[in-house]
Amino acid sequence: MAIDMSMPVLVVDDYNTMIRIIRNLLKQLGFEDVDDASDGSAALSKLRGKKYGLVISDWNMEPMTGYELLKEVRQDPGLAKTPFIMVTAESKTENVIAAKKAGVNNYIVKPFNAQTLKTKIEAVFAE
Amino acid sequence: MALADASHFDRLVDFLKQKRDNVTFNDIISLAEVSAQSLQSFFQALDAKVYGELREIAQYIETMRHEIGALQVNDLKNSRIPAAGEELGAIVRATEEATHTLMECAEAVMAADASDPAAYKALVDEKMLVIFEACSFQDITGQRIAKVVETLQHIEERVSRFANVVQAKDINGFLTESERARAERKEKLLLHGPQLAGAGVDQSKVDELFA
Repeated sequence: MAIDMSMPVLVVDDYNTMIRIIRNLLKQLGFEDVDDASDGSAALSKLRGKKYGLVISDWNMEPMTGYELLKEVRQDPGLAKTPFIMVTAESKTENVIAAKKAGVNNYIVKPFNAQTLKTKIEAVFAE
Repeated sequence: MALADASHFDRLVDFLKQKRDNVTFNDIISLAEVSAQSLQSFFQALDAKVYGELREIAQYIETMRHEIGALQVNDLKNSRIPAAGEELGAIVRATEEATHTLMECAEAVMAADASDPAAYKALVDEKMLVIFEACSFQDITGQRIAKVVETLQHIEERVSRFANVVQAKDINGFLTESERARAERKEKLLLHGPQLAGAGVDQSKVDELFA
């Protein structure tokens, strides 16, 4: 399935540097409409105010983590089908399994490169 | 330890046998003297034991005072730990600044107009120099990290020595309620943080779980 490069993408991370890295990588991949949020609750507000085609979220944030955000998104009928990629340093097997059970579409371990991000986005939209 | 010498009791018994029917005030005084002599050896032995135990306690307290002093807690609390905190703060700021500079250079190069090759090359050369300069953060942060590691080793040595001397045993549970709350939140939300090389799962293992 072709990816709609005009779809809005929401990047959620509490580190501005990481947001900037992902934003630049997405720009290189052709995504122009990229928003950001600094934690799960800020992201949830944005998600309820605008239709996003993809969420790329960190796990470890305060006050709402990416894992909590994922569960909220999957429980909300209006957001439940939004593609969700976790990009995180939380790299224990139990983290990956928990995220998968909660309905994450893919999981990227930090640090990562542009090719990994591209591959995972393509895999999500090939589902 | 015997309460008293048997000979002293024998003297008491003999005395009472002799004076059974006719006890005077002087006899009572004499009896008290004999009793006091009987108990003297007991108290002497008791004194020696109590003294020995008190001396051991005093030595233990003196050792503890020495070991607590050797921990140098005031130096740790007022100087070394705050200094290590400042070093770590400076490391975070330095890495943030360097990252910002590097990304700014990369963004400038990516956004540059390449239609004028000479101008483009001049811009790239200028930004590359800035990148080289920004990379010097690694040397400075390396030195700062070495100082923090030294502080941690200093604390570790003293705490280990103290734990050995007092034969410390860990108790379960949490020191404060906020410590408990933090631990429970970490447990509930699976907050493990970055793993050391080889400790966590890498991307290929994650991909297997999603295959």
